Amino acid sequence: MGKKLAPIVDKKPLDNANISVLKGTSMRDDQWSALVVAVGKHRDRKSFAKLFKHFAPLIKSFAQASRQEGWFPGIAEDLVQEVMIKVWQKAEAYDPQKASATTWIYTVARNCRIDMLRRKSNIQHLPIKNEDFWHEPDKDTPISFFRQKRTEEQVKESLSRLPREQDEIIRKVYLEGKSHVETSHELNIPLGTVKSRVRLGLQKLQLLVSTECREDLNND
Amino acid sequence: MTNFLKHHPDSNMLVEFSAGSLDIAPSLCVSAHLHFCAKCRSELSKLDEIGSHFLSQSNPTEVNEQLFENVMNEIDRTEHKSTEPEPDATVQHFPAPIKKLITAAKNTLTWQRLSSSIDTAKLFTGQNKFEVALHRISAGGTTPKHDHRGTEYTVVLKGSFSDEQSIYTEGDFLVRKPGDVHQPMGAKNGECICLSALDAPVKLTNPLGFLFRPWLKINPM
Repeated sequence: MGKKLAPIVDKKPLDNANISVLKGTSMRDDQWSALVVAVGKHRDRKSFAKLFKHFAPLIKSFAQASRQEGWFPGIAEDLVQEVMIKVWQKAEAYDPQKASATTWIYTVARNCRIDMLRRKSNIQHLPIKNEDFWHEPDKDTPISFFRQKRTEEQVKESLSRLPREQDEIIRKVYLEGKSHVETSHELNIPLGTVKSRVRLGLQKLQLLVSTECREDLNND
Repeated sequence: MTNFLKHHPDSNMLVEFSAGSLDIAPSLCVSAHLHFCAKCRSELSKLDEIGSHFLSQSNPTEVNEQLFENVMNEIDRTEHKSTEPEPDATVQHFPAPIKKLITAAKNTLTWQRLSSSIDTAKLFTGQNKFEVALHRISAGGTTPKHDHRGTEYTVVLKGSFSDEQSIYTEGDFLVRKPGDVHQPMGAKNGECICLSALDAPVKLTNPLGFLFRPWLKINPM
């Protein structure tokens, strides 16, 4: 199972011996998550430097993939800087039980990306940031560590096998940051088709929850 | 919190929320719903795995060597924590972003009377598409029957109300579009407070609707 991690994963063992918090079978054992915990608990700069070395180039590439209105590739490094500062500031709130470091950093990057765009396109002072919409992982969320881990692997496996037209749309939405409406304009297909392709994609990724609590599945 | 919510944002909206492409006002409504709905929170955490996968599969692109130092300098400069002002006691149990908006306005809510049973308090969110507001329906209060000219998102924050189709309780999320005519009524056992985001004025079905001036236009801010 551990082998399924992203290919860029640095294979070097974790040399920071005092991070025993993640040992044990029900704990997340990838080194990135351990490093975020070390930053949160001990404000450990060496761990942070390793995180930076691994994630800064990924975030930059992620930022360059963005095609949102008002976004230009030149600000990719501004985003990297902003995200990494947030990682340092918010590491304390990170819970390795609830998400991998990569997923957590994705959510930070997603929030920073949208906030940068809003700041740039808005002359008014914005009273609220995208991260404010975000809920810290909580005990109420009925999802166990094992289920979470299984979802991660499921998504990785099935994403590579999505039919082309669903893959295209999921990429537009997540990588380019396009809304469904923008996607429909760009690909010149009806909004309803975009929505149903997204949902078909989710179905393939087994991410769609059971139908009884989703009216949208029955409607169109 | 309660797990018995019946009305949720659809999967497409959660995807846009997860990908970060949803406008501020609907995001605020989704976020308010998430405050009450563990099921959607858990679905959202799964959706984030998609973004996570794309991030981890990105082709690493070298960053400027100076960048790490810049980050460390900035971290040292900002290391002390800023304290957020305490929100008004009456909104303590509201979802965090709404409390923040109220606090940011530097005053308590300014309620404006819309009819004998509805008051509204506008919220400044720094965008120009949706009017975002709280609506307070008094216990047992009746609101005018109306259609919608655009999209209206509503989340119940306190108490409950009903219309011709259903009863909506704390956390329930509703979308109403043109052609959806309804007449919300406050529950008898207490006032109901809802968050709403509206991108066009509602259309009162009463032929004398034009007399209800506060309903005739919206003021996105």
